[in-house]
Amino acid sequence: MASQSAASSSLTVALSDEGTSAALQGALDIRTLTEAERSLAHWPKKRKSGAIDLSGLSSLDTPGALFLCGLRNRGIELTGISTEHQALLDLVCGLNLKPLPRQASIPRWQQVIIQLGKGADDARHDIVDIITFVGRAASAIGNALIHPRGLRLPSISRHIEETGIHALPIIGLMAIMISIVIGYQGVAQLRPYGGEDFTINLVAVSMLREMGVLITAIMVAGRSGSAFAAEIGVMKARDEVDALKVMGMDTMEMLVVPRLIALVITLPLLTFFSDIMGLFGGAMISRFLLDVSPLQYVDRVRHAVDVSDLFVGLVKAPLFGFLIAVIGCMHGLRVRGSAESVGQETTRAVVKSIFVVIVLDALFSILFEKLGI
Amino acid sequence: MNTRTPGRAEPILSARNIVNRFGKQEVHDRISLDILPGEIIGIAGGSGSGKSVLLKTLTGLHRPNAGQVLLNGKRIDTIAPAEKASLIGVLFQQGALFSSLSVAQNIMLPIREHTDLPREGQEKIAAMKLALAGLSADSGIKFPSELSGGMVKRAALARALALDPRILFLDEPTSDLDPLMASGIDALIQRLNQSLGITVVIVTHDLTTLFTICQRIAVLVDKKITVATLDKLMRSNQPWVHEFLHGPRAQGAMAARKHSHGNG
Repeated sequence: MASQSAASSSLTVALSDEGTSAALQGALDIRTLTEAERSLAHWPKKRKSGAIDLSGLSSLDTPGALFLCGLRNRGIELTGISTEHQALLDLVCGLNLKPLPRQASIPRWQQVIIQLGKGADDARHDIVDIITFVGRAASAIGNALIHPRGLRLPSISRHIEETGIHALPIIGLMAIMISIVIGYQGVAQLRPYGGEDFTINLVAVSMLREMGVLITAIMVAGRSGSAFAAEIGVMKARDEVDALKVMGMDTMEMLVVPRLIALVITLPLLTFFSDIMGLFGGAMISRFLLDVSPLQYVDRVRHAVDVSDLFVGLVKAPLFGFLIAVIGCMHGLRVRGSAESVGQETTRAVVKSIFVVIVLDALFSILFEKLGI
Repeated sequence: MNTRTPGRAEPILSARNIVNRFGKQEVHDRISLDILPGEIIGIAGGSGSGKSVLLKTLTGLHRPNAGQVLLNGKRIDTIAPAEKASLIGVLFQQGALFSSLSVAQNIMLPIREHTDLPREGQEKIAAMKLALAGLSADSGIKFPSELSGGMVKRAALARALALDPRILFLDEPTSDLDPLMASGIDALIQRLNQSLGITVVIVTHDLTTLFTICQRIAVLVDKKITVATLDKLMRSNQPWVHEFLHGPRAQGAMAARKHSHGNG
């Protein structure tokens, strides 16, 4: 064993003519095992007994020893073995070896049904959890408002900075890009009818009513919803949440309420910012595609949109902010133990909050349509 | 044990004039260490003395700022990954088992990557490694998250042994374990060393491990290393070493040494 070197990883199997004796030379290790197994698979052919000479063996490792044990159990005699290899052989043969248990495999169609059932059950639990959590969060906020001591202003302002101010560049850029996309499509579609000037209306109305708040909410869900889930999740995984509880502090009040309030304040402000940047993007489109000067553009926008258009967009923002924060915090608190659970819950928080935002936005569209706003 | 005297043999792993620094802080100042084939050597030192960095340097995971590490006489950074994998096995402190794979799959992964054995062959070897590490075959289908602390260490040890390495590095093998489990791990390490002839490098501050199974001890103090047998270190007048080996906790470990040597 000690003389093993990587270069000597070769094995020769010599079978005698009578077929009762064989000799192994070289290294019997994990790399030469396949070779040895192939050579000796059908050996000895007729008689059940045989002998293998191992005196030429330069090195032996545990898989090799396991293979030799198998031969010995088949009734083959091992001869000429060195003391060093004998010790290894004794160790490996002496192990209480059992094959790895087989896991009963479930047919594919059954797996699909099981998944379906689990998914439905999970969805039911999720809905109950969100409703419960919204209730607990609302009561914690109510509590904090009655006893302003529970309102942690430094914490709230830190979260406003992180979720709001730090998000300004990316959200502004996104709003400009989206309005350019809408503008280009509008010009292309309306030009055949000679109505390309209406592109301004299209951009202004769609940014203010829908796109501004939607892209802001999606961006915030991806940025801050995930951050909430990960921050709280890591605290949960490291027992920091339990430490808070033991020291008599309320997790809802300490961790959830500041984030909720921060996002409810931040999201409308970000939405307003994104509306303005969207209109700015519209001005750029008008200048370069429609030859409408910025002053004319402002005039056109004033006729195209109403305060109610701005209001329709902004009114959704606090609700979206609330739900993104609730879902993020809820998944953070759901983390159990391990680090991988933090990753899972963060992903779920983001997917679920984006889903909820889009579904609610669609419902709002229908609602406002029915109300005629 | 301790009957084997690892003298004069060519070192299997040797570190020459290792310097490690992070920013302005120097952790190791021209450290040299020779590890002899077949020995169990313990690396001890206070928290923050650079034990883990030394382990990473010796395994080639961390490139030192100066100095070199020779494995079988070759510079460790020039050895091909596959060859290195068959020479070195590492048991990480937290086990570092892949959480998405079962224990048996964890053991089979390096075998699958580095050999062309068929699946049944891999499974047989995995079952054998499990038994070698003192785990039942049933635990092979479990996932790391379902294992207790002691079982994680054993499973990780089984994986470290997957390719029959010549040197086994153990990072705090007995930390987070209850004393009974820790003794079990100690006995297992000793058994693997004696029966497989495997060289073992243990980074630990478990005094019982150092006193009962290590033939030599390397102590990291003040960026330098002192390597000696326990008996010589006991007579050291270096303050930290003296405090470390004669403190209240050392008394119990000394008793354990007498006990185990008396029985052995």
